[in-house]
Amino acid sequence: MFDAVARNLSFLMGGFRVTLQLTLFALAGGIVLGMIVGLGRISRNKWIYYPVTAYVNFVRNMPLILVIFWFYFVMPIIAGRPLDPFLSAVISFIIFEATYFGEIFRAGYQSISRDLINASYSTGMTYSQTARYVLIPIAIRRMLPSLITQSIVTFQDTSLAFVIGLQEFVRRTSIVDNLEVRSIQLFSFVAIIFFIFCFIGSKISRHFEEKGRRTGVL
Amino acid sequence: MIEINNISKWFGDFKVLTDINEIIKRGQTVVICGPSGSGKSTLLRCVNGLEPYQKGEITVDGTSLSDPKTNLYNLRQKIGMVFQRFELYPHLPVLRNISLAPMKVLKKSREEAVKKAMELLERVGIPEKADEYPANLSGGQQQRVAIARSLAMEPDYMMFDEPTSALDPEMIKEVLDVMIDLAKEGMTMIVVTHEMGFAREVADEIIFMDEGKIVERGTDEEFFTNPKSERTKAFLSQILV
Repeated sequence: MFDAVARNLSFLMGGFRVTLQLTLFALAGGIVLGMIVGLGRISRNKWIYYPVTAYVNFVRNMPLILVIFWFYFVMPIIAGRPLDPFLSAVISFIIFEATYFGEIFRAGYQSISRDLINASYSTGMTYSQTARYVLIPIAIRRMLPSLITQSIVTFQDTSLAFVIGLQEFVRRTSIVDNLEVRSIQLFSFVAIIFFIFCFIGSKISRHFEEKGRRTGVL
Repeated sequence: MIEINNISKWFGDFKVLTDINEIIKRGQTVVICGPSGSGKSTLLRCVNGLEPYQKGEITVDGTSLSDPKTNLYNLRQKIGMVFQRFELYPHLPVLRNISLAPMKVLKKSREEAVKKAMELLERVGIPEKADEYPANLSGGQQQRVAIARSLAMEPDYMMFDEPTSALDPEMIKEVLDVMIDLAKEGMTMIVVTHEMGFAREVADEIIFMDEGKIVERGTDEEFFTNPKSERTKAFLSQILV
Protein backbone atom coordinates (compact mmCIF):
# COMPACT_ATOMS: atom_id res chain seq x y z
CA MET A 1 0.00 0.00 0.00
CA PHE A 2 2.86 2.36 0.87
CA ASP A 3 5.22 0.91 -1.71
CA ALA A 4 6.27 4.24 -3.21
CA VAL A 5 6.92 5.59 0.28
CA ALA A 6 8.98 2.52 1.17
CA ARG A 7 11.10 2.82 -1.99
CA ASN A 8 11.98 6.46 -1.22
CA LEU A 9 11.89 6.42 2.54
CA SER A 10 15.40 7.66 3.21
CA PHE A 11 15.03 10.52 0.71
CA LEU A 12 11.70 11.52 2.27
CA MET A 13 13.03 11.28 5.82
CA GLY A 14 15.96 13.46 4.79
CA GLY A 15 13.35 16.07 3.92
CA PHE A 16 11.65 15.55 7.25
CA ARG A 17 14.95 16.15 8.98
CA VAL A 18 15.23 19.50 7.19
CA THR A 19 11.70 20.32 8.35
CA LEU A 20 12.64 19.52 11.96
CA GLN A 21 15.85 21.54 11.74
CA LEU A 22 13.99 24.48 10.27
CA THR A 23 11.38 24.23 13.05
CA LEU A 24 14.06 24.06 15.71
CA PHE A 25 15.95 27.13 14.48
CA ALA A 26 12.73 29.05 13.86
CA LEU A 27 11.52 28.29 17.40
CA ALA A 28 14.79 29.05 19.14
CA GLY A 29 15.20 32.36 17.31
CA GLY A 30 11.48 33.19 17.37
CA ILE A 31 11.12 32.63 21.10
CA VAL A 32 14.25 34.55 22.08
CA LEU A 33 13.37 37.45 19.79
CA GLY A 34 9.76 37.12 20.96
CA MET A 35 10.76 37.66 24.61
CA ILE A 36 12.46 40.89 23.60
CA VAL A 37 9.58 41.95 21.34
CA GLY A 38 7.18 41.26 24.25
CA LEU A 39 9.21 43.54 26.51
CA GLY A 40 9.28 46.18 23.77
CA ARG A 41 5.50 46.04 23.50
CA ILE A 42 5.10 46.94 27.19
CA SER A 43 7.90 49.50 27.17
CA ARG A 44 7.09 53.03 28.32
CA ASN A 45 9.86 54.37 26.12
CA LYS A 46 8.19 55.53 22.90
CA TRP A 47 11.42 55.07 20.92
CA ILE A 48 11.17 51.38 21.73
CA TYR A 49 7.40 50.92 21.85
CA TYR A 50 6.46 52.45 18.48
CA PRO A 51 9.08 50.79 16.25
CA VAL A 52 8.44 47.39 17.87
CA THR A 53 4.67 47.82 17.59
CA ALA A 54 4.96 48.87 13.95
CA TYR A 55 7.07 45.79 13.21
CA VAL A 56 4.60 43.49 14.95
CA ASN A 57 1.56 44.98 13.25
CA PHE A 58 3.20 44.99 9.83
CA VAL A 59 4.39 41.40 9.90
CA ARG A 60 1.27 39.99 11.54
CA ASN A 61 -0.81 41.42 8.73
CA MET A 62 1.28 39.74 6.03
CA PRO A 63 0.79 36.21 4.77
CA LEU A 64 3.82 34.15 5.80
CA ILE A 65 4.41 32.99 2.22
CA LEU A 66 4.91 36.60 1.20
CA VAL A 67 7.48 37.18 3.93
CA ILE A 68 9.39 34.09 2.75
CA PHE A 69 9.28 35.15 -0.90
CA TRP A 70 10.05 38.76 -0.23
CA PHE A 71 13.00 38.00 2.01
CA TYR A 72 14.39 35.47 -0.46
CA PHE A 73 14.25 37.89 -3.41
CA VAL A 74 15.21 41.06 -1.57
CA MET A 75 18.18 39.70 0.36
CA PRO A 76 20.38 39.04 -2.72
CA ILE A 77 19.92 42.69 -3.72
CA ILE A 78 21.03 43.82 -0.27
CA ALA A 79 23.72 41.20 0.26
CA GLY A 80 24.91 41.19 -3.34
CA ARG A 81 24.70 37.43 -3.69
CA PRO A 82 21.96 34.79 -3.47
CA LEU A 83 21.24 33.48 -0.02
CA ASP A 84 21.18 29.81 0.89
CA PRO A 85 17.47 28.81 0.88
CA PHE A 86 17.73 27.20 4.32
CA LEU A 87 19.30 30.27 5.91
CA SER A 88 16.84 32.53 4.12
CA ALA A 89 13.93 30.42 5.36
CA VAL A 90 15.22 30.38 8.95
CA ILE A 91 15.55 34.15 9.01
CA SER A 92 12.09 34.71 7.49
CA PHE A 93 10.54 32.35 10.04
CA ILE A 94 12.27 34.05 12.95
CA ILE A 95 11.08 37.46 11.75
CA PHE A 96 7.56 36.12 11.33
CA GLU A 97 7.17 33.88 14.39
CA ALA A 98 8.81 36.39 16.77
CA THR A 99 5.81 38.69 16.31
CA TYR A 100 3.44 35.92 17.40
CA PHE A 101 5.64 34.80 20.28
CA GLY A 102 6.10 38.44 21.22
CA GLU A 103 2.36 38.87 21.70
CA ILE A 104 2.25 35.73 23.85
CA PHE A 105 5.05 37.06 26.03
CA ARG A 106 3.42 40.49 26.26
CA ALA A 107 0.21 38.90 27.52
CA GLY A 108 2.19 36.76 29.98
CA TYR A 109 4.04 39.75 31.41
CA GLN A 110 0.85 41.78 31.64
CA SER A 111 -1.12 39.01 33.35
CA ILE A 112 0.82 39.51 36.58
CA SER A 113 -0.78 42.12 38.80
CA ARG A 114 1.14 45.01 40.29
CA ASP A 115 0.02 43.99 43.78
CA LEU A 116 1.34 40.45 43.41
CA ILE A 117 4.75 42.01 42.80
CA ASN A 118 4.14 44.37 45.73
CA ALA A 119 3.25 41.40 47.93
CA SER A 120 6.58 39.82 47.11
CA TYR A 121 8.43 43.10 47.72
CA SER A 122 6.65 43.57 51.05
CA THR A 123 8.19 40.34 52.33
CA GLY A 124 11.61 41.86 51.67
CA MET A 125 12.32 40.04 48.41
CA THR A 126 14.48 41.93 45.92
CA TYR A 127 13.64 42.57 42.27
CA SER A 128 15.73 39.64 41.07
CA GLN A 129 14.31 37.28 43.72
CA THR A 130 10.80 38.39 42.79
CA ALA A 131 11.52 37.82 39.10
CA ARG A 132 13.08 34.43 39.72
CA TYR A 133 10.67 32.91 42.23
CA VAL A 134 7.42 34.69 41.40
CA LEU A 135 7.19 36.51 38.06
CA ILE A 136 8.93 34.16 35.65
CA PRO A 137 7.51 30.89 37.06
CA ILE A 138 3.97 32.26 36.91
CA ALA A 139 4.42 33.85 33.47
CA ILE A 140 5.84 30.65 32.00
CA ARG A 141 3.07 28.50 33.48
CA ARG A 142 0.50 30.86 32.06
CA MET A 143 2.14 31.05 28.64
CA LEU A 144 3.14 27.42 28.23
CA PRO A 145 -0.06 26.24 26.47
CA SER A 146 0.09 29.16 24.00
CA LEU A 147 3.82 28.70 23.45
CA ILE A 148 3.35 25.04 22.60
CA THR A 149 0.38 25.77 20.33
CA GLN A 150 2.37 28.43 18.48
CA SER A 151 5.29 25.99 18.20
CA ILE A 152 2.96 23.49 16.49
CA VAL A 153 1.80 26.19 14.10
CA THR A 154 5.44 27.02 13.34
CA PHE A 155 6.13 23.35 12.62
CA GLN A 156 3.24 23.28 10.16
CA ASP A 157 4.25 26.62 8.63
CA THR A 158 7.71 25.33 7.70
CA SER A 159 6.22 23.47 4.74
CA LEU A 160 5.73 26.88 3.08
CA ALA A 161 9.50 27.07 2.64
CA PHE A 162 9.06 24.80 -0.41
CA VAL A 163 8.23 27.94 -2.43
CA ILE A 164 11.88 29.00 -2.40
CA GLY A 165 13.04 25.53 -3.39
CA LEU A 166 14.08 24.34 0.03
CA GLN A 167 14.07 20.55 0.05
CA GLU A 168 12.02 20.05 3.16
CA PHE A 169 9.49 17.30 3.72
CA VAL A 170 6.73 18.49 1.39
CA ARG A 171 9.13 19.55 -1.35
CA ARG A 172 10.86 16.17 -1.39
CA THR A 173 7.51 14.40 -1.40
CA SER A 174 6.49 16.35 -4.47
CA ILE A 175 9.81 15.44 -6.14
CA VAL A 176 9.15 11.76 -5.45
CA ASP A 177 5.60 12.16 -6.69
CA ASN A 178 6.87 13.49 -10.03
CA LEU A 179 8.78 10.25 -10.52
CA GLU A 180 6.41 7.74 -8.97
CA VAL A 181 3.06 9.41 -9.68
CA ARG A 182 1.53 8.13 -6.44
CA SER A 183 0.10 11.42 -5.16
CA ILE A 184 -2.55 10.06 -2.79
CA GLN A 185 -0.23 7.57 -1.16
CA LEU A 186 2.69 10.00 -0.82
CA PHE A 187 0.79 12.99 0.46
CA SER A 188 -1.27 10.82 2.81
CA PHE A 189 2.00 9.70 4.33
CA VAL A 190 3.08 13.31 4.83
CA ALA A 191 -0.29 14.14 6.34
CA ILE A 192 -0.07 11.24 8.80
CA ILE A 193 3.41 12.25 9.94
CA PHE A 194 2.37 15.88 10.42
CA PHE A 195 -0.78 14.81 12.21
CA ILE A 196 1.05 12.53 14.66
CA PHE A 197 3.54 15.23 15.65
CA CYS A 198 0.96 17.99 15.93
CA PHE A 199 -1.51 15.82 17.78
CA ILE A 200 1.08 14.85 20.41
CA GLY A 201 2.05 18.53 20.69
CA SER A 202 -1.54 19.63 21.19
CA LYS A 203 -2.03 16.94 23.85
CA ILE A 204 1.01 18.26 25.71
CA SER A 205 -0.33 21.80 25.44
CA ARG A 206 -3.70 20.61 26.73
CA HIS A 207 -2.03 18.84 29.63
CA PHE A 208 -0.32 22.05 30.78
CA GLU A 209 -3.49 24.02 30.30
CA GLU A 210 -5.48 21.66 32.51
CA LYS A 211 -2.71 21.54 35.07
CA GLY A 212 -2.64 25.34 35.14
CA ARG A 213 -6.40 25.49 35.57
CA ARG A 214 -6.36 22.88 38.33
CA THR A 215 -3.78 24.73 40.36
CA GLY A 216 -5.36 28.09 39.63
CA VAL A 217 -2.32 29.61 37.95
CA LEU A 218 -4.16 30.37 34.69
CA MET B 1 7.91 54.03 65.50
CA ILE B 2 6.66 55.22 62.12
CA GLU B 3 6.64 58.95 61.58
CA ILE B 4 4.79 60.42 58.64
CA ASN B 5 5.85 63.99 58.31
CA ASN B 6 3.96 66.33 55.99
CA ILE B 7 3.72 63.91 53.08
CA SER B 8 2.35 64.96 49.70
CA LYS B 9 2.17 62.80 46.63
CA TRP B 10 1.13 63.34 43.04
CA PHE B 11 0.23 60.92 40.26
CA GLY B 12 1.20 63.12 37.32
CA ASP B 13 -0.78 66.31 37.84
CA PHE B 14 -3.21 64.68 40.22
CA LYS B 15 -2.52 65.24 43.90
CA VAL B 16 -3.40 62.06 45.79
CA LEU B 17 -2.00 62.93 49.22
CA THR B 18 -1.85 66.35 50.83
CA ASP B 19 0.21 67.18 53.91
CA ILE B 20 -0.30 63.95 55.81
CA ASN B 21 1.05 63.86 59.36
CA GLU B 22 0.87 60.85 61.62
CA ILE B 23 2.91 59.07 64.27
CA ILE B 24 2.42 55.37 64.95
CA LYS B 25 4.08 54.18 68.13
CA ARG B 26 5.10 50.63 68.92
CA GLY B 27 2.17 48.47 69.96
CA GLN B 28 -0.46 50.83 68.59
CA THR B 29 -3.21 49.96 66.18
CA VAL B 30 -4.26 52.77 63.86
CA VAL B 31 -7.35 52.37 61.69
CA ILE B 32 -7.71 54.45 58.53
CA CYS B 33 -11.12 54.77 56.91
CA GLY B 34 -12.62 56.93 54.21
CA PRO B 35 -14.30 56.75 50.81
CA SER B 36 -12.56 55.00 47.93
CA GLY B 37 -10.06 57.19 46.13
CA SER B 38 -9.27 59.09 49.31
CA GLY B 39 -5.62 58.00 49.26
CA LYS B 40 -5.68 55.41 52.08
CA SER B 41 -4.09 52.60 50.08
CA THR B 42 -1.57 54.96 48.51
CA LEU B 43 -0.53 56.13 51.97
CA LEU B 44 0.12 52.52 53.05
CA ARG B 45 2.18 51.91 49.92
CA CYS B 46 4.26 55.00 50.68
CA VAL B 47 5.02 53.73 54.18
CA ASN B 48 6.86 50.64 52.92
CA GLY B 49 8.37 52.29 49.88
CA LEU B 50 6.18 50.67 47.24
CA GLU B 51 5.20 54.16 46.06
CA PRO B 52 7.45 57.20 46.12
CA TYR B 53 6.28 60.51 47.58
CA GLN B 54 7.33 63.92 46.38
CA LYS B 55 7.23 66.04 49.52
CA GLY B 56 7.77 65.51 53.24
CA GLU B 57 9.34 62.53 54.90
CA ILE B 58 8.48 59.12 56.31
CA THR B 59 10.79 57.47 58.80
CA VAL B 60 10.58 53.94 60.15
CA ASP B 61 12.52 53.54 63.42
CA GLY B 62 14.48 56.64 62.44
CA THR B 63 15.34 55.47 58.91
CA SER B 64 14.12 57.80 56.19
CA LEU B 65 12.39 56.19 53.21
CA SER B 66 13.30 59.00 50.84
CA ASP B 67 17.01 58.80 51.69
CA PRO B 68 18.63 57.27 48.60
CA LYS B 69 21.03 55.37 50.89
CA THR B 70 18.16 53.50 52.54
CA ASN B 71 17.89 49.89 51.44
CA LEU B 72 14.15 49.55 50.89
CA TYR B 73 14.38 45.76 50.56
CA ASN B 74 15.81 45.52 54.09
CA LEU B 75 13.33 48.01 55.44
CA ARG B 76 10.35 46.12 54.04
CA GLN B 77 11.33 43.00 55.97
CA LYS B 78 10.21 44.87 59.08
CA ILE B 79 6.82 45.84 57.64
CA GLY B 80 4.39 43.10 56.69
CA MET B 81 1.60 43.91 54.30
CA VAL B 82 -1.72 42.24 53.59
CA PHE B 83 -3.67 43.10 50.44
CA GLN B 84 -7.33 43.31 49.57
CA ARG B 85 -7.06 40.51 46.99
CA PHE B 86 -4.70 38.33 49.07
CA GLU B 87 -2.02 38.21 46.31
CA LEU B 88 -0.82 34.73 47.21
CA TYR B 89 1.64 33.11 44.80
CA PRO B 90 -0.71 30.96 42.71
CA HIS B 91 1.97 28.51 41.58
CA LEU B 92 3.12 27.52 45.07
CA PRO B 93 1.35 25.44 47.73
CA VAL B 94 0.30 27.26 50.89
CA LEU B 95 3.31 26.16 52.91
CA ARG B 96 5.74 27.37 50.21
CA ASN B 97 3.91 30.69 50.01
CA ILE B 98 4.78 31.21 53.67
CA SER B 99 8.30 29.75 53.70
CA LEU B 100 9.58 31.37 50.48
CA ALA B 101 10.71 34.74 51.84
CA PRO B 102 12.21 33.36 55.10
CA MET B 103 14.29 30.96 53.01
CA LYS B 104 15.36 33.40 50.31
CA VAL B 105 15.59 36.65 52.29
CA LEU B 106 16.49 35.49 55.80
CA LYS B 107 18.44 32.47 54.44
CA LYS B 108 16.71 30.12 56.85
CA SER B 109 17.09 26.39 56.27
CA ARG B 110 14.16 24.60 54.69
CA GLU B 111 13.38 22.66 57.91
CA GLU B 112 13.42 25.82 59.98
CA ALA B 113 11.27 27.77 57.51
CA VAL B 114 8.76 24.92 57.15
CA LYS B 115 8.51 24.47 60.92
CA LYS B 116 7.82 28.18 61.36
CA ALA B 117 5.29 28.13 58.51
CA MET B 118 3.41 25.24 60.11
CA GLU B 119 3.32 27.06 63.44
CA LEU B 120 1.84 30.09 61.70
CA LEU B 121 -0.73 27.97 59.88
CA GLU B 122 -1.75 26.53 63.26
CA ARG B 123 -2.03 30.03 64.59
CA VAL B 124 -4.35 31.18 61.80
CA GLY B 125 -6.32 27.95 62.17
CA ILE B 126 -5.73 26.10 58.87
CA PRO B 127 -2.79 23.69 59.28
CA GLU B 128 -4.65 21.10 57.18
CA LYS B 129 -4.34 23.36 54.09
CA ALA B 130 -0.53 23.34 54.06
CA ASP B 131 -0.20 21.38 50.80
CA GLU B 132 -3.14 22.91 48.93
CA TYR B 133 -2.75 25.49 46.20
CA PRO B 134 -4.21 28.92 46.99
CA ALA B 135 -6.95 28.53 44.37
CA ASN B 136 -8.42 25.64 46.38
CA LEU B 137 -8.92 27.80 49.46
CA SER B 138 -11.83 30.07 50.32
CA GLY B 139 -11.22 33.81 50.38
CA GLY B 140 -11.09 33.89 54.17
CA GLN B 141 -8.57 31.05 54.23
CA GLN B 142 -6.44 32.73 51.55
CA GLN B 143 -6.36 35.95 53.53
CA ARG B 144 -5.29 34.08 56.65
CA VAL B 145 -2.48 32.49 54.65
CA ALA B 146 -1.49 35.96 53.45
CA ILE B 147 -1.31 37.13 57.06
CA ALA B 148 0.81 34.08 57.95
CA ARG B 149 3.10 34.82 54.99
CA SER B 150 3.73 38.32 56.34
CA LEU B 151 4.21 37.13 59.91
CA ALA B 152 6.78 34.58 58.77
CA MET B 153 9.23 37.45 58.29
CA GLU B 154 8.70 38.37 61.97
CA PRO B 155 7.88 41.97 61.13
CA ASP B 156 7.74 44.78 63.66
CA TYR B 157 4.80 46.37 61.85
CA MET B 158 1.83 45.02 59.95
CA MET B 159 -0.19 46.95 57.38
CA PHE B 160 -3.57 45.80 56.10
CA ASP B 161 -5.12 47.25 52.95
CA GLU B 162 -8.86 46.58 53.16
CA PRO B 163 -8.22 42.96 54.16
CA THR B 164 -11.88 41.98 54.35
CA SER B 165 -13.50 43.97 51.58
CA ALA B 166 -13.06 41.22 48.94
CA LEU B 167 -14.54 38.57 51.24
CA ASP B 168 -17.99 37.07 51.51
CA PRO B 169 -19.70 38.28 54.68
CA GLU B 170 -19.46 34.93 56.47
CA MET B 171 -15.68 34.89 56.08
CA ILE B 172 -14.97 38.34 57.43
CA LYS B 173 -15.03 37.27 61.06
CA GLU B 174 -12.39 34.55 60.72
CA VAL B 175 -9.96 37.10 59.30
CA LEU B 176 -10.83 39.83 61.78
CA ASP B 177 -10.38 37.40 64.68
CA VAL B 178 -6.80 36.74 63.60
CA MET B 179 -6.19 40.48 63.32
CA ILE B 180 -7.75 41.19 66.73
CA ASP B 181 -5.50 38.57 68.34
CA LEU B 182 -2.48 40.17 66.67
CA ALA B 183 -3.41 43.62 67.92
CA LYS B 184 -3.97 42.33 71.44
CA GLU B 185 -0.58 40.60 71.41
CA GLY B 186 0.96 44.01 70.88
CA MET B 187 1.69 44.05 67.14
CA THR B 188 1.95 47.55 65.72
CA MET B 189 -0.69 47.78 63.00
CA ILE B 190 -1.98 50.19 60.40
CA VAL B 191 -5.29 48.96 59.08
CA VAL B 192 -7.28 50.43 56.22
CA THR B 193 -10.79 49.10 56.76
CA HIS B 194 -14.43 49.96 57.03
CA GLU B 195 -15.02 47.33 59.72
CA MET B 196 -16.01 49.71 62.48
CA GLY B 197 -16.60 46.87 64.96
CA PHE B 198 -12.93 45.98 64.58
CA ALA B 199 -11.95 49.62 64.97
CA ARG B 200 -13.95 49.92 68.16
CA GLU B 201 -12.42 46.83 69.64
CA VAL B 202 -8.72 47.38 68.98
CA ALA B 203 -7.98 50.81 67.48
CA ASP B 204 -5.94 53.23 69.54
CA GLU B 205 -6.63 55.86 66.94
CA ILE B 206 -8.99 56.22 64.00
CA ILE B 207 -8.20 58.43 61.04
CA PHE B 208 -10.74 59.57 58.51
CA MET B 209 -9.37 60.52 55.09
CA ASP B 210 -11.05 62.23 52.18
CA GLU B 211 -9.56 63.57 48.94
CA GLY B 212 -6.02 62.85 50.06
CA LYS B 213 -6.27 64.69 53.36
CA ILE B 214 -6.75 63.61 56.94
CA VAL B 215 -10.12 65.16 57.77
CA GLU B 216 -10.49 63.88 61.28
CA ARG B 217 -8.70 61.78 63.84
CA GLY B 218 -9.58 60.56 67.28
CA THR B 219 -9.62 57.73 69.75
CA ASP B 220 -12.41 55.31 69.01
CA GLU B 221 -15.05 56.62 71.40
CA GLU B 222 -14.78 60.29 70.50
CA PHE B 223 -14.56 59.39 66.82
CA PHE B 224 -17.83 57.48 66.82
CA THR B 225 -19.85 59.43 69.35
CA ASN B 226 -18.75 62.93 68.55
CA PRO B 227 -17.31 63.37 65.05
CA LYS B 228 -16.39 66.99 64.44
CA SER B 229 -16.58 67.41 60.67
CA GLU B 230 -19.73 67.14 58.60
CA ARG B 231 -17.87 64.93 56.12
CA THR B 232 -17.05 62.37 58.81
CA LYS B 233 -20.62 62.41 60.08
CA ALA B 234 -21.96 61.79 56.60
CA PHE B 235 -19.48 58.96 56.03
CA LEU B 236 -20.18 57.29 59.36
CA SER B 237 -23.93 57.48 58.82
CA GLN B 238 -23.38 55.64 55.53
CA ILE B 239 -21.36 52.76 56.91
CA LEU B 240 -22.85 52.41 60.40
CA VAL B 241 -26.28 51.22 59.47
